[in-house]
Order: sequence, then C-alpha cells, then structure tokens
Amino acid sequence: MNSQLTPVQLDRISEKNNRYKKWSFWVQILLLAVLLAAPMMSSFRFMDAAAKIMIFTVVVASYDLILGYTGLLSFAHAMFFGIGAYSIALLSYHSASTHWYHLLLAVVIALAISVLLAMVLAFFSLRTKAIFFAMLSLALADFFHILGITWSDLTLGEDGITFSLPGILNIEWQGVEILGVHFGPRRITYYLILVISISLFLFLLRFVRSPLGRVLKSIRDNEERSIALGFRSFHYQIYSIVFGSAISSLGGILYGLWLRFVDPASVLGVFGMVDYLLMVIIGGLGTLYGSIIGVAFFISTQSWLPDILQTFADLFPDVAIMNRMADRWMAFLGLLFIVAILLFPKGVVGTVRDYLDKRKQ
Amino acid sequence: MAAQPVIETRNLTIQFGGTLAVNNINLAFEPFRLKSIIGPNGAGKTTLFNLLSGQYKPTQGQVIFQRKDITRLGPAKRTKLGIGRSFQLTNIFPNLTVLENVRLALQSKAAVGMVFWRSWRSYTDLEDNAYELLKQVFLEHHWSNPASTLTHGEQRKLEIAILLGLDPAVILLDEPTAGMSIEEVPAILEIIQELKAQKTRTIILVEHKFDMIMKLSDSIAVLQEGRLICDDTPEAVSNNEQVQAAYLGGGVSNE
Repeated sequence: MNSQLTPVQLDRISEKNNRYKKWSFWVQILLLAVLLAAPMMSSFRFMDAAAKIMIFTVVVASYDLILGYTGLLSFAHAMFFGIGAYSIALLSYHSASTHWYHLLLAVVIALAISVLLAMVLAFFSLRTKAIFFAMLSLALADFFHILGITWSDLTLGEDGITFSLPGILNIEWQGVEILGVHFGPRRITYYLILVISISLFLFLLRFVRSPLGRVLKSIRDNEERSIALGFRSFHYQIYSIVFGSAISSLGGILYGLWLRFVDPASVLGVFGMVDYLLMVIIGGLGTLYGSIIGVAFFISTQSWLPDILQTFADLFPDVAIMNRMADRWMAFLGLLFIVAILLFPKGVVGTVRDYLDKRKQ
Repeated sequence: MAAQPVIETRNLTIQFGGTLAVNNINLAFEPFRLKSIIGPNGAGKTTLFNLLSGQYKPTQGQVIFQRKDITRLGPAKRTKLGIGRSFQLTNIFPNLTVLENVRLALQSKAAVGMVFWRSWRSYTDLEDNAYELLKQVFLEHHWSNPASTLTHGEQRKLEIAILLGLDPAVILLDEPTAGMSIEEVPAILEIIQELKAQKTRTIILVEHKFDMIMKLSDSIAVLQEGRLICDDTPEAVSNNEQVQAAYLGGGVSNE
C-alpha cells in the first residue's frame, strides 16, 4: 500500500493545524472582546450602535444566504424581520402583563409564520422564473407594510407600539452589582442579544460550509450541471429561502427586545429592505463575514457622521456653507456609499479576498 | 443469446414539429459492453441521448432500465438510478476547484446533500475518493485549481471523472473528444479503454472519429434521419452496404 499522504490529505491536516494561527481567527477574538466590552463604555450610544450592529448582522447575513449564496433576489427580507418584531410587540402589548413564555411564544409564532410564508413564496414563484420570485416577494412585502399601517386596531397603525418586557429585561428592574459593575436591564438585554446573535451567525456559517451549502454554491455556479448530478435545485433553493427568512424573523425579535418599540416604517418598510441590500453589497456578496463589515460601516456612519461633520463645521464658524453641509449629512452618507462601492467593486470582503489570492500567486 | 439488457428502448419516437427526430427505435444495451451510436449530422444521435438521460420525453415508446419503465422520469431521478451522462458541450462547475467538481458528484451519490449541521470537510472519504478519481483521468496535479483554468481537453476528462463519481451503471458519453486537440485524444481513448476493461459499467458512446469507434466498440448502432438502419459488430457495420451508402457515401476509410 501507498503510505504517503495525498496532497488533499495534507491540505486537510494543515488547515486543521493552522486554524488558530490565522489572522482572521484573532480578528474574530478581538471583535468578540469589543462587543463584550461595549456596554462598559460610559456612552449609551456606543452600546446602542454595537447592539444594532449585532442584530442587523444576523439579518444581513441571512439575506446574504438568499442573495449571495443562492442567487435569489428577495424583497421580502424586511417583511420577515417585521414579522418577528411585530410578533413580540403584539404579544407583549395585547397581554395584560408580559411573561417569559410570551417571548418563547413570539419565537414560535415568528418562526411558524415566516417558514410558512417563505415556503408559499418559493413554491409559487420559483418554478417559473427568478424574476417572478423578486416580483412576488415585493408584492407580499408591500402587502404586509400596508397591513401594518391600516390594521390599526391590532398594530396601532403608523404610531407604532411601545411595549415592556418581563422580569430582568423590564426597564423598571433595579439591576444587580457584580464585582462592582452595575448590570441593569439594558446591559442584560444587550448580553442576551449578544449570545443569540452570535449563535445565529455561527449557525449561518455552519450552514454555508455544510454539504448543503456546497450544493447551493454549485447551483449558483452551474445549475444545469448540478441538476445532472442529481441535486434538485428547487428543493435546495426552498431550504435556503426558508432558513434565511426564518433567521431574519428572529433578528426582528432581537430588534424588538432592544428597542421595545416597533412601527411599520422602521421594520416593514421598503427603505429597510434597500438598506439591507446596500449593506450586503458593501460587505461583499456570498461572504457572510462581509455582512458584519457592511452593517458596521452603515450603522456607525449613520450614528457618528452628523457629529463629525458638525465638529468640522464648528472649526469654521464663519463659513456658512460648512454649517449647511453638516445639516445635510444624509447626502454625505450617500456619497460614502458610492465611494465604498467604487473602491470595493466586489464588496469589502470579496475585493480583499481577491487581492490576497492574487498576491499568493 | 445475449444477457438481459441493462437499458433498452422500445419503439422510441420523438417528434419536433413535423419532423421525427427519433423514429421508432428499438435498441438493447448489454451489460458491461460498449455500444457506439453513429450517423451523419442530424441523424438523431444527441436526441436519442437526451431521451435516454431524461432531458427529453418521447412522443411515443418507452425507455426500460433494469426492467423498470423509466420513460416518465426526469434527468435528476435517472441520475440517482444509475444513468450518468456527459454533455457534448463541456459541462462543469467553472468556478469551483477541480477536486470540488468531483467531490460534489460523490456527495450526491452519498446522499448527504441535505446535511446542514456538519462541516463539508468532515466528510474526508468524499475528498479522498475524489482525488483517486482524478488520478484515473490524469488530473490529480490540478486538484486545487479552479476548473475554468483547465484546457478544453482536460475539462472533458474532468467531466468523465465527475461522471464516475456518480458510480453509474450506464455511462453516456456524448462526443468526448469534440473540440479536442489531436494530442489530447489518446488520453481519452486510454481512459475509456480502462473503463471498458474494468467491466463494471455499460458504456454508450456518440463519436465522430471512426477509427476510435472501431477500436473501442463491442457493437455499433447506425442512425439515419432518426431511423435505426443497422446494429451490429464493428466489422459487420463497416461492411454493411446500406451503412456505406447512407452514412459514408460508399467505402469506409479509416482516415
């Protein structure tokens, strides 16, 4: 017998041995440390931005599963997010007092509705043409948006719902001191979101690196070949949409946990959908890690760009145009996105990966 | 009498508009033999292939595989049953690595495609077997390159390796040397000869290179305008007058 290892086996062994030597591993550790420390900063805005980055990373990464890994353009991702957010809001608001089982119920309901809707959506549209899937998802999303606005007995319409959470998540809770650090309801909620969103992100990572993920990749590369291998692409695409959409609805629940307020414009609106699309493109399609970068870029510019511009303007108090420009920070946001896409045509992660691959050769 | 055929067609007919592309064909493919299908352009060879692999459904007649009627089954189901085909136009995953192309075929055979909770790299046997198959088609040195970087001839070899990954009982090879440079043809010939020598699969071949067909085939079926005009041993076919008149315009040359 040939006792020598094949190159494939050598590659596998070296990947296993170098797992903790890669720089990307240490970047992840660093990121985790920053997220763990974020609530310890005195500024609430920092913790708020970190929580939103985690929540939307889950949403955008699950969108990447559908758009980047499966190659399907869905406009219903914000709708699934909204279904999650509304399921917790409605349950909490319409019950006399909120209990823990309401949270669990919200998860079950959100998952059930989103799985069902995703299957119906995929089943009716995918057998025909991909463009029909995009159209039908847009129509469905719009329907839910209008439903959220007009069914005001249930949803309070455009005013939105403010609700409270049970137990140690409730704003009234006094909190505890652990090792001299005060843990109030905000910080507890933050760490709950941290645990859940990291678990969901790890689940998505495993999903795209599983045998199923490899099939999705092959369908995107050459669908005809994949079918000829015996993979029924239709089934795989349904899986991807169902998983992606269900995770988006869980992201919606996290959003509800954090803000304790939902309204149709912020969770069901089409603008949210466009934001996800931008974030996933800036980060890099089909990379998952890109969604972290896309979301972090988006949320941090949104949070701090007005301040930065104002600081600049204050340096030149006599120059009127500087002040006017600071007022119109949204225009700069748009400009930044254009620059980001021009600099990173395949998204940040995609372009950097291409560059590193080229340097290796 | 010959053994029970692995695959056979009964009165197989398909009509496109007014033309009968395949017209009432009865063919039997014996186990572990290589049968070639030849005929002038437009004789219906590729159409017959598509009927066997399930890309087309016949207007009339049946396809029988291991005594089962598979006429109504689509290509994915036929692949699962054990009918693998290569395409006339190269059909690979261009952006995946050479190894991954073959590994996916093995993964399909192993039926783990629905697994989403384990890493794909934990299925080490799939990777190792894929590498062994690459050796069979002389592509092992390219295993980590994207398939699009291979030459055309290498891509055809990769296709054969993918096909073997599915471990099919029947292999349909649609012009495996099409568009290949002359230097690359002997390697393909060697691969097919090796496959034949293993005596584990039935091979159906469509090919234009006449000397290659004469060398490889156990039997040859000749089509003309959708009809089967002859199905016999290579010697008998090359001496058949009807074949000479119809297909080659008289006098078989070995080019």
